[in-house]
Amino acid sequence: MAAALDYLRPASLAEALSLLSTIEGAQPVAGATDVWVGIRSKKHAPQALVSLKSIPNLRFILPDRDTDAYEGRAEGATGDSGVLLGAATTHGDVEDSAWMKSHFPAVHQACSGVGSRQVRNVATVGGNICNAAPCADSAVGLLLYDATLVVAGPQGERELALSEFFVGPGETRLGPAEILKEIKVPSPGPRTYAWYWKHTRRKGVELPLLGVGARVTLAADGTVDKARISLGVCAPMPTRSYEAEKVLEGQKLTAELAAKAGEVAAANALVRDTWRGRGWYRREMVRVLVPRVIGLSGALS
Amino acid sequence: MKTITFTVNGNPVTLDVREDANLLSVLNDDLELTGAKEGCGAGECGACTVIVDGVAVASCLYPACEADGRQVETVEGLVLASGGLHPLQRAFVDYGAVQCGFCTPGMIMSAKALLDRTPAPSQQEVKVALAGNICRCTGYTQIVQAVLAAAEEMRK
Repeated sequence: MAAALDYLRPASLAEALSLLSTIEGAQPVAGATDVWVGIRSKKHAPQALVSLKSIPNLRFILPDRDTDAYEGRAEGATGDSGVLLGAATTHGDVEDSAWMKSHFPAVHQACSGVGSRQVRNVATVGGNICNAAPCADSAVGLLLYDATLVVAGPQGERELALSEFFVGPGETRLGPAEILKEIKVPSPGPRTYAWYWKHTRRKGVELPLLGVGARVTLAADGTVDKARISLGVCAPMPTRSYEAEKVLEGQKLTAELAAKAGEVAAANALVRDTWRGRGWYRREMVRVLVPRVIGLSGALS
Repeated sequence: MKTITFTVNGNPVTLDVREDANLLSVLNDDLELTGAKEGCGAGECGACTVIVDGVAVASCLYPACEADGRQVETVEGLVLASGGLHPLQRAFVDYGAVQCGFCTPGMIMSAKALLDRTPAPSQQEVKVALAGNICRCTGYTQIVQAVLAAAEEMRK
């Protein structure tokens, strides 16, 4: 480890931003679970880590509105409220939230599958996004819901679409002196069905061979008003399959249509060979899993 | 170096730690609490599990500086004031849930974090809570049985 590493614990966002702008090679961390492994293996050598854990109001799950009394919510459907997540909300916070489970099942599912409980207790959703691994489970879940990111920087705050945030493996549009503050998820609308499937060899403490998310919001007449298909490990970053979404939108949802979306998603997936899995297998499984996950969302029944 | 103050098993401690030190090394080397073990050093094996502010964490990935102001519980803190074993420890012995013992402190702390919040867990909840703790000896069956038995004992 670099002996020169400094570890700073600012008490406010303003102080953290000022540290990031003044210290060359400073890196913000929250749970630090991934950064710490990188430092230990000498993959990273930041001059300083700026911990966001002592900053108040970065860790919360705030629903748009109380939706328990919502009427007209179809059986098994979700989508009658948006949510604001503090960037330092842990995966365990989401896992433990019954509200997230019933309103954003795909995000709940994605967050509950990250690492072990020990890791989920400290690793944050904001960190998972900013770390920008191609397999980032929570990002693949959040892409289904058109999430936007509220980013604080020296010049104030700006908002970016999650779908445009990733540049490459470990690379994002976040500036060196910027901090992800909040994740804004708009209400997806009633009659929304969504699910996330982490394709792994074992159930726990595993990175995905593939992450597949599906979300369908039905119009009043039962046709697909909005479709989102998100993929992990199918490109250098978490992505949406815009082509597969186009297959679904405006149509009556059937098993045949879902299968066609799977064909199209597979044909367009930028899969590759890694030691965890071969490209041909990944492509084949995208074809299989996209319709399966649409089915698991409950939208077909 | 940074000066940090925190409690370990209820006892306040203040000490200087390196900025790149993890909580595990402070417990093992500075405080001579050797229950938590380093296995993988990457948060995958769970042998280093301790409880910080009520939740299980991998102490090998937990920056020591971050322990400042927090409450840390290790397996050493479980032994009852009377000197007797904690119900989890007792159950691990009774059910043969220990063989080589390397994973045991981490297993027990993961289990304690679960039972502190969920006094009557299902078998599935126990498995999820312990998924991050690897044991190469027992095959897990006795461990899950021991945790369920300890939970029942602790509810009495």
